[in-house]
Amino acid sequence: MSKIWWLVAGAMASIATAQESPFQFNGFVDTYHAIQTEWPHDLTTSRTRLRAELRVDYENAYLFASLNGIHNSILDDRTGVQLQEAYFNYSNSFFEIRAGRQIVVWGVADGLRVTDLISPVDYTEFMSSDYDDMRMAVDGIRIKYPGERVNAEIVYVPVPRYFQMPIGEDNPWRPDLPENVSFDFPEGPEPRFKNGDFGTRVSFFLSNLDFSLSALHTHNQSPVTVAGYDPEKDSIVIHGIHETMTMFGGDMSMPLGEFVLRLEIAEYLDEALAYANNLDYARKNTFNALGGIDWYAGDNWTFMVQYLHKYIADYSDELAAEQNSSQVTFRISKELLNNTLKLALYGMFDIDNLGFYARVSGDYALSDQVTVSLGYDHFGGKRGQLAWYEKNREVWAKAKYYF
Amino acid sequence: MKIAKTAATIVVALSAMVCAEALTGRDIVQKVHDRPDGDTRSSELSMTLVNKSGNKRERKITSFAMDVGKDTKQIMFFRYPNDVKGTGFLTVDYDDISKDDDKWLYLPAMKKTRRISGKSSKTDYFMGSDFTYDDVGQRNIDEDTHKLLREEKLDGIDCWVIESVPKKSDEIFSKKIMWIRKDCLIAAKVEYYDKLGKLHRLLKVESVVQVDGFWAIGKMTMENVQANHKTILEFGELKFNIPLDAKTFTVPRLERGL
Repeated sequence: MSKIWWLVAGAMASIATAQESPFQFNGFVDTYHAIQTEWPHDLTTSRTRLRAELRVDYENAYLFASLNGIHNSILDDRTGVQLQEAYFNYSNSFFEIRAGRQIVVWGVADGLRVTDLISPVDYTEFMSSDYDDMRMAVDGIRIKYPGERVNAEIVYVPVPRYFQMPIGEDNPWRPDLPENVSFDFPEGPEPRFKNGDFGTRVSFFLSNLDFSLSALHTHNQSPVTVAGYDPEKDSIVIHGIHETMTMFGGDMSMPLGEFVLRLEIAEYLDEALAYANNLDYARKNTFNALGGIDWYAGDNWTFMVQYLHKYIADYSDELAAEQNSSQVTFRISKELLNNTLKLALYGMFDIDNLGFYARVSGDYALSDQVTVSLGYDHFGGKRGQLAWYEKNREVWAKAKYYF
Repeated sequence: MKIAKTAATIVVALSAMVCAEALTGRDIVQKVHDRPDGDTRSSELSMTLVNKSGNKRERKITSFAMDVGKDTKQIMFFRYPNDVKGTGFLTVDYDDISKDDDKWLYLPAMKKTRRISGKSSKTDYFMGSDFTYDDVGQRNIDEDTHKLLREEKLDGIDCWVIESVPKKSDEIFSKKIMWIRKDCLIAAKVEYYDKLGKLHRLLKVESVVQVDGFWAIGKMTMENVQANHKTILEFGELKFNIPLDAKTFTVPRLERGL
């Protein structure tokens, strides 16, 4: 397979060199390696990836395909060729249609999800990838009306996909569990018409304000866990539960001088929520709200802070989550040396569990094609997922070559 | 008849002198701002960034613009390098000095359009170049106080020399001195001074072209003389009064790309 892959890549590269060609071939090769800063100093991530993107244009239509060829030296099942996106797109002045495997992004939040519930997230290596690399494409159809001030779209995903979680036994990001515990997490629902995700979003772009209204029939893509017993294996099985739910929401962005205010709210109807005893789950209505401020301070400084709040209506003390829970994220970045060097600090604070994650990073563009990055990830806290990952405090290095 | 012609010539000459004497710095900058450039225009921009070691980086952009009354809409698509290919930038430059510009940035890797501040980014450098967003956009005339210093020849071309001082203190320059060509109303040279009054950046327009009867810059170089870094900006495929409608300058179009 790999030989064929390289031949196709080479052929496409040759085609792409021709001027005025309807073929565009681009991509990158990147390699990312992270090592624990504390004993036993194991590698937490080690992968090299070739991303190849091909676009073929014909009048108002084009075909786009994006493939990943990955060698992952820690997670064997991640090594191979994966289809990232592959879709057909047609557009004219009145509508745009995109059919196939595609990433759908809604809302104004940065790295957090309120109305952005269509494309799931791949947490197999937690946050070792950039957030945009972690987004998973879905197989669906999207029809848009591209107005001057109004943009309306409908989306249908016949076979939704769920989050991918770090559950493999060789995965350094797998939660610490006793030996006789296994996971049973489905990748998606049964492929039936009634199991499809469908939704609509209408966006307005005004002089001082952008806002959108959205509605979506979907599933809880992040699994609710319920423990069971497998008599054949004589072990405990943690099942991932995904139920349908309906989301009604909206978002807005408003520039105010050097600042941009962002707001995103959504009501989830019948969201599945785990009980604390891990033996069952409940369906509740929840209200989710995010507020964010971006400050474009000038001189290539950018500051961003976001606050996310979740409220569970008709609360029961048996639930694992608190009735009110919240998270804060922030990002500070500065570009130097004519934008060849970018320094950034990203932080996430889980207020209820007093858990935190911080990433400090530096990206340096050696040339138009090559960027090298170094960084450090710090995890800590009292409880919860971020506190579990204390053992995976890590330094990492990445190099990326664009072609 | 001969006397009448002579008299007419004298009257025209005198009125021209009166006009010239009456021109203020602001009048000249207004003339530059009002220079005919069609209701719509497009170009292929090539930007070469050269650092003090002589290493070069390139940026290629396709740009479309349209005047709507006194305001200007502009949409830019980045074509090179490949890490920013597909990035789009949409702006609405308002003539009203009290109104911040509207700006949207589409990031193809994120599959997302971001609303960004129309105020602060004006003073940031554009794509790592030596041009600020203000330099590549439309700076409002009344954001500066303009003074005609003198008239002189630059490289054999008659120019007005104008000093422009920002009215607000949060600009990155304390003043700029422009040599405005009288023949085509395009700056031939601009000196930007920092807050300490030292020369910071120097703009030289090396090529002026006439396309479809409209004067336009073909090539210019902005040099940061303090950092020893320069950016060469070349405009290719210049077109004026091309058929563009309002739907070209929208967020859906930004996301669709070229």
